[in-house]
Amino acid sequence: MASSGSGYDLSSSTFSPDGRIFQVEYASRAVESSGAALGLRCADGIVLCVEKPMNKKMMVTKNTPAGRRIYAVDGKTGLALAGYPGDGRQVANRAREEAANYLETYGSEIPPDVLAARLSAYVHYFTLHGALRPFGCTALLAGYDAATQRHSLHMVEPSGSCFEYYAAAAGRGRQPARTEMEKLAVNPTRAAAAAASGGAGGVGGEEGMERGQQLISVAEGVRQLAKIVYTIRDSGGNGGSGASKDGPFEIEMSWLCEKTGWKHVGVPKDVMEEAVEWAKREIEAEGEEEDEDDDEEDGMEE
Amino acid sequence: MFRNMYDTDVTVWSPEGRLLQVEYAMESVKQGSACIALRSSTHSVLGALKRSVSELSSHQQKILEIDDHLGIGIAGLTADARTLAKWMRNECLNHKYVYGTSMPTGRLATDLADRHQRTTQTYVRRPYGVGLLLASFDKNGPHVFETCPSGNVYECYATAIGARSQSGRTYLEKHYESFPTCSKDDLIMHALRALVGCVAGDGELTKENGSVAVVGKDEKFTLIEGDELQPYLDRLELEGGNNNGGGGGEEEKDDDDEEEDEAKEEDAMET
Amino acid sequence: MSLSLQSGGSSSRVSASSFSATGTGIVAAANAAGNQVTTRPITTGTSVLGIKYRNGVMLAADTLVSYGSLAKYKNARRLLPVNSRTLIGASGEYSDLQSISDLLIANALEDRCTADSLYEEDNTNEECAKEVWSYLRAVMYQRRNKMNPLWNDVIVAGFQQNPDGSTSDTPFLGTVDKIGTAYEDDMLATGFGGYIALPLMREKYRPDMEEGEARALLEDCLRILFYRDCRALNRVQIAKVTKEGGVLVSEPYELDTFWDYKGYVSTKAGMGTDGGW
Repeated sequence: MASSGSGYDLSSSTFSPDGRIFQVEYASRAVESSGAALGLRCADGIVLCVEKPMNKKMMVTKNTPAGRRIYAVDGKTGLALAGYPGDGRQVANRAREEAANYLETYGSEIPPDVLAARLSAYVHYFTLHGALRPFGCTALLAGYDAATQRHSLHMVEPSGSCFEYYAAAAGRGRQPARTEMEKLAVNPTRAAAAAASGGAGGVGGEEGMERGQQLISVAEGVRQLAKIVYTIRDSGGNGGSGASKDGPFEIEMSWLCEKTGWKHVGVPKDVMEEAVEWAKREIEAEGEEEDEDDDEEDGMEE
Repeated sequence: MFRNMYDTDVTVWSPEGRLLQVEYAMESVKQGSACIALRSSTHSVLGALKRSVSELSSHQQKILEIDDHLGIGIAGLTADARTLAKWMRNECLNHKYVYGTSMPTGRLATDLADRHQRTTQTYVRRPYGVGLLLASFDKNGPHVFETCPSGNVYECYATAIGARSQSGRTYLEKHYESFPTCSKDDLIMHALRALVGCVAGDGELTKENGSVAVVGKDEKFTLIEGDELQPYLDRLELEGGNNNGGGGGEEEKDDDDEEEDEAKEEDAMET
Repeated sequence: MSLSLQSGGSSSRVSASSFSATGTGIVAAANAAGNQVTTRPITTGTSVLGIKYRNGVMLAADTLVSYGSLAKYKNARRLLPVNSRTLIGASGEYSDLQSISDLLIANALEDRCTADSLYEEDNTNEECAKEVWSYLRAVMYQRRNKMNPLWNDVIVAGFQQNPDGSTSDTPFLGTVDKIGTAYEDDMLATGFGGYIALPLMREKYRPDMEEGEARALLEDCLRILFYRDCRALNRVQIAKVTKEGGVLVSEPYELDTFWDYKGYVSTKAGMGTDGGW
């Protein structure tokens, strides 16, 4: 590693000669080794999903505050975390405080973009001082703005940078996850372009598109995220470096959508089970298809 | 002198994205004598091996009562644990004063973990060099939580920390599925059997170095030590179980080393 | 913006000092440190009544908020749900009641967000009525010791909790006043109701009262309070907590009143007095 040993990488208050802050980059690396956190902005809501490797036996996984990776911030905002769980809790606590403060001051719920901005300011502050260290976690924030009737997904990274996304992924396997996500119809502009080039009538514009059928629904989003988690685990996540990190794992999913009254709640267990079943079937079918392709057999259509 | 340049401050990330100071603090937990915790559907039990520095000294207290419904077992720096215990007692008292009910264990455990975490992110303090096992019975039933210096917290059906805890953990992993239906006494016996494996060399589990505590439905947190522990040890003796496999000292040690490496990987701070 | 790591964690609210409402429109006096404290209330609500009955607890209050002797707001709600199974009602300074309600609702939201599960059906984190009551006691007593009380007498209604956290069949009814005195009883009344309504309630009360009987009794008491209490109104609300239905607060409605008594109808001059009562 070029940076290592240069002496410019020992404090987040030090720039390297080429203008980088290595400590922040190293902190990002801590996130890369954690179970994935995924978020999808669908037509009618947002789905969050985390992959939780179960490295320890004898763990309680249901109805416990320990080992959680998705947090409720207020009734209508959810936070999914990748990285150090301890750091993640700190960020979640801060998000709750910001939400509560905003409510107390302004009498209305904090809009997701404001919360994301405040959270990124908090995370960013830890990249400025030698006496602090940057957070080793990335947060996906799903929220609904009652004033504009718009739902949004933000991602706050250890550097403090924050963007809004149609689909976001953090943690181990985020690259293959992003590749998979790019195949999904979640970007209205692109969906519109696709519809236009397909000659399927006029382009409805972004608004029309968001309400229209071209974008996937949360129900479909749940299935697709389940499939992505299983896909990235199958491929080992680290550029196919094998199944070394594979082991028992659990999926935790939450959503907020029209159906839940824009409340952020866990995806019902039966819906999740169905999605996981579907994902496994789908992956298996694709696997067979590939096998058959390898054998130069025809007849499968997809 | 140091292994590398990234391991002297808590606020410095290594190029691999690790916090070495925190990982070293996790090591200090493994220096402490073993401590285990397990639960049935009605009781939670703590068990610990107490050390004494010399023949002339008393044994170090390993299990501390926090409230009527909750106690902790510790492994690592005892003085750090005392600071945390004092804070936890305060939290429980405050909760009782304000709400008139006992502190929910989950809330205390996560607040405790947050406390651990904060020391890992500021330059001014070192991380707490102690792992804690919380055993309780609250309105949601029995609980066992484990916290570590990194700020991680786990809820477990059974768990073990400290020196040579791997063999205790192996025992627990083998039997924990049968724990829910165990009676209080059976649970204590399981605790002792798990502890026996953690005794150093050819040592024995005695009423002096053994320590057990139990808490359950309608049953306040009680420490069982000394003469009160003897009947259980007698029962263990009858089973023929009270020594650490005896003779195979050398081999045993190798196993332990391997096991501890395994434990290290397990405790890596990723989820 | 404070960036301290020290804040946060669910225990922070245990120190009741995190609750510091100042600068309401209340008449205030300067204490030694130069801060302003409440010495008397300005916009006030009058009595709240509470009673246990066969399968629940019921509260009743009118909807008047007075500004001194002026009947200023005639549709103010003073019975407020704080979570799915706990209800409060308060007399005294209305802004302080709003502040208390905000605080309790914020706590309830925090409890929901820090629950052990993302699934509402698994949520056992909610405070029971007794915890809400106990918490209020701590807040009120702490404020009074700072010589800056929240100027309310509050009644808390709900259900007792079983040791396993489930809701028991036993109703809970407790009160906390502005100096932190707290007690439970089968029937309670704050403000003027403590003098006028409580004796009537004691006379008529049975532990096995049906809901209809309880409601009739409370309505009678409210009507009598309206006749006697110059700061009362016949526009009222009734609220109940039942084990099955949780908290239910009625919309404000008007009580029938009877003003045809001779003393009300004939001019005082004709009663052979000097015109006074």
